[in-house]
Amino acid sequence: MSDISTTLAGIKLVNPFMVASGILDENGYTMKELLERGAAAVVTKSIGISERDGYPTPVIVEYGDSLINAVGLSNPGIENFGEEINIAKEAKRPIIGSVFAYNAEEFTKLSVKMEEYGVDAIELNLSCPHVKGFGLEVGSDPDLVEDIVNEIKSKVKVPVFAKLSPNVSNIIEIAKAAEKADAYVLINTVKAMAIDIYSRSPVLSNLYGGLSGPAIKPVGIRYVYEVKKETGKEIIGVGGISNYKDAIEYIMAGASAVQIGTALYKYGKGIFREMEWQLRTFMDEERFEKIEEMVGVAIKR
Amino acid sequence: MINLKIEENVKESQNVNTLYFNWDQDIRPGQFAMIWIPGYGEIPMSFSGLGRRKSITVKAYGSASRKLTELKAGDDLFLRGPYGNGFDVREGRKLLVGGGSGIVSLYPIADQETDALISAKTRDELIFKDRFPESRRFIATDDGSDGFHGFAHELLQRINIDSYEAIYVCGPEQMMYKVLQVLKGRKVFVQFSLERTMKCGIGICDSCSLGGKQVCKEGPVFNIEELIGNPEFGVYRTTYSGRRIRLNVK
Repeated sequence: MSDISTTLAGIKLVNPFMVASGILDENGYTMKELLERGAAAVVTKSIGISERDGYPTPVIVEYGDSLINAVGLSNPGIENFGEEINIAKEAKRPIIGSVFAYNAEEFTKLSVKMEEYGVDAIELNLSCPHVKGFGLEVGSDPDLVEDIVNEIKSKVKVPVFAKLSPNVSNIIEIAKAAEKADAYVLINTVKAMAIDIYSRSPVLSNLYGGLSGPAIKPVGIRYVYEVKKETGKEIIGVGGISNYKDAIEYIMAGASAVQIGTALYKYGKGIFREMEWQLRTFMDEERFEKIEEMVGVAIKR
Repeated sequence: MINLKIEENVKESQNVNTLYFNWDQDIRPGQFAMIWIPGYGEIPMSFSGLGRRKSITVKAYGSASRKLTELKAGDDLFLRGPYGNGFDVREGRKLLVGGGSGIVSLYPIADQETDALISAKTRDELIFKDRFPESRRFIATDDGSDGFHGFAHELLQRINIDSYEAIYVCGPEQMMYKVLQVLKGRKVFVQFSLERTMKCGIGICDSCSLGGKQVCKEGPVFNIEELIGNPEFGVYRTTYSGRRIRLNVK
């Protein structure tokens, strides 16, 4: 019988399947339920310094089995989020606190607060808009990324994961800027848009959104592969994972664990137990005893 | 988005209109759609009519819903769905317990033998009252301007609940919470249709969640057993930003 547990920055996970940030992770009871239904860990909604409504509806476009979302980082604010984490912790599985901000100071403040709430790790959402504007993301500026990661690492003791955006021209440069992080999370959403031809309007109230789901899996696989090959660092793969085969593909590209997001829309909460069973079957048949034996096996050097 | 045409707009009362449209989609009673009003937003709406000629009944309370009530025959209706689980419609005598606009979501369940308890704050806010014959309806208004002077759960206690095979409830959460207290432990089959702030409507954003369940996907209809012991039903709601607020239910 294969061992489907994995370890990530010293954190033991009973299986490689986590809940991705932004998916069913705003309410503590929901996170608790997903952990009880088999998710090995959950990444919280990305939390900011202040309460934020996010964008008005519509905030979602169904794009086949994929989604374009523009929820707009809606969140209750860090001061109001401790209660949700306390509820989620009743499930006794790792909680990773996701944070977003516009500068190193605020990222650090948020991370320290998340650590106080008792999260097991911090995930840095580097895809929020750069304070200088011009439509840039924080995560597209290597100097800023380096400052953020370094400052947080000097202040918190829990592991820090940097979630990298695919909307960059050189992801290796950004990954190296974040090299003090304990692991990378690859990828966040791809910039996207949809127009309704009968109303002749963009569908999302924010016009633009982030594409996630099966449509972006090949992008995620490539980035995990490239970054693992170039840096050797631990990676969590995320982007379009809908079944155990997708998860294994990410693991073979170099991920030590994967996050499930958009697939919950199509397959529901039972997806974790189902993938656990299927992964174990695959590993038995292909004679892998441990997840770590599969990590990065596809990488050609 | 699905693009349909408004066939007719019927005024029900001062702020309430029923919009009729043709749509061949099969929809179960209690399911809903996300209605898009370009430029004004998207709102979840249950169906008040479910034949091939379908309808939604809109109460104007915000800019999007007000704009919706102003649509005319020939105008475009944009929506996505249907979503949600819908009611388990049982054979036999049924009682619908509707608070405010709640009776609209329940109406598609009604048949010739169905009774309805319709409650509202005041007479002018009673909706669909005339869709039930006098012998099959119970009316309650908070201010006593029509029917029983008091709340739905109070009037419910004066009805022979055990004569029904099933009871379906929809209304403000405070009202439903009180109705649950009256009905729990009884033998009758009971379902509630819940409403929470919705954004995605498809079960991924966690906006409409209730004690771990997503109202848009695992609901909006819940059996009474699922709600008894739910840590949030009648206790908490969340703001649009996701901040938890304790409800004052006495």
